[in-house]
Amino acid sequence: MKRRTIGIVDYGVGNQASVWRALHRLGYRCRVSSDPAKLDETDILVLPGVGSFPAAMEQLHAHDLVDYLRQSARGGKPFVGLCLGMQLLAEKSREHGLTAGLGLIPGEVVPFPGGGWHIGWNAIEHVGDDPLFAQCDGMAMYFNHSFIFDAPQEYRVYAARTDTRFPVGVRRGNLVGMQFHPEKSQDAGQALLRTLVEGLCP
Amino acid sequence: MIKKRLVGVVTVRGGWAVQSFGYGRYLPLGRPEVLVQNLDRWGADEIMLQCIDRSGGDIGPDFDLLDRVARLGIATPLIYSGGIRNANDARASVNIGADRVCVDALLHDNPDAVAQMGYLLGAQAVIAALPLSVVDGAVLWRDYRIGRDAPLSPEVIALLNEGAVSEALLIDHAHEGHPGAFDPAILDCGLADNVPLIAFGGISDTQAMKGLLKRDAIVAIAVGNFLSYREHAVQAYKEALFDVPVRPAHYNRTVYS
Repeated sequence: MKRRTIGIVDYGVGNQASVWRALHRLGYRCRVSSDPAKLDETDILVLPGVGSFPAAMEQLHAHDLVDYLRQSARGGKPFVGLCLGMQLLAEKSREHGLTAGLGLIPGEVVPFPGGGWHIGWNAIEHVGDDPLFAQCDGMAMYFNHSFIFDAPQEYRVYAARTDTRFPVGVRRGNLVGMQFHPEKSQDAGQALLRTLVEGLCP
Repeated sequence: MIKKRLVGVVTVRGGWAVQSFGYGRYLPLGRPEVLVQNLDRWGADEIMLQCIDRSGGDIGPDFDLLDRVARLGIATPLIYSGGIRNANDARASVNIGADRVCVDALLHDNPDAVAQMGYLLGAQAVIAALPLSVVDGAVLWRDYRIGRDAPLSPEVIALLNEGAVSEALLIDHAHEGHPGAFDPAILDCGLADNVPLIAFGGISDTQAMKGLLKRDAIVAIAVGNFLSYREHAVQAYKEALFDVPVRPAHYNRTVYS
């Protein structure tokens, strides 16, 4: 089996070290970089993220990565956004005002239903009929966020529940976003990461 | 549904993991990395690494230790606490491997810097640690560096009530390390009802844990010393907490590189 190489986008505000370790532990080669030439040499891009949406977009612009990420995604390269990295795929966010995102998947990032935070372990529910996501249906993942990506129904692949049901996973072709932290979700997260890498890479 | 959490705490002093008793007496346990690995293997919901001698000495976070712990490749969310002076320290902690940060002394020294941290990292990544005790019926907040108790400041109450940080870690510092000694009276410290609370300090028996976890405001309990007294302590607690909404005991196989 081909050993995949994963490009972890380093834009200064992510938890790229944790993502690197989780993927490395699964046996993948990983490159953490902000250099498009180095990221181009990989099989799949992973965009991690911890922080606020405006600060993250500011850093993506500062690292001159916005156009590169848009071109890579539109060119068909497999691309996974994790937590804030998923939200950055949206058209815009209402966190601390209105900020434009990468605009790769329709929809906007809005406050968590009812306000407050969604912190801790929660089960993910498979939405739709995409078989890539069926395997991890019902598994508990670690969440840590206060905004959600309100994507249209046709792009939703996972949901979670508190008092209400809300999207926590999206897919548009080669693009996938996960609102939780699979890299810190113990065995369940490892299973999902492997599924995503193997399922998205040709 | 979101589950309530059992947070495993590793207290570090002088680079060594210690048992801590009442913020004044310490017994060595060993290398912090080993304790963190245990908690990861046992399925703790979060692990808090707290370095208690960093702010007093104004020497900043222990990035070397955090890096060593992060290099273990643990798959459990990691909270780092100790010596964080500003938003840049917090961001560096996350870059190295922490998922969240916890601040204590900075709440006394510069609440604005804590708010800035919340903006930069997102409030969900920031926890406020509040060592508390009940004195003559009043809940007082300790500055552990100088041993002074005072009411919670309006600035800190506003930080939490307005959501500039996500959760308050309420520490019963006087009873910390003493089995079954947590005083629930510290929970009434003047914060709004909707501020999520983590209870810590002297929580050792499952009946007390159940009582705390059944309160709406309490989203997690943190346990330190009592996880070090037996193997698989996290799973043992979780199995006993079957009737409260915590993630079930989790047994996994972890191979560290």
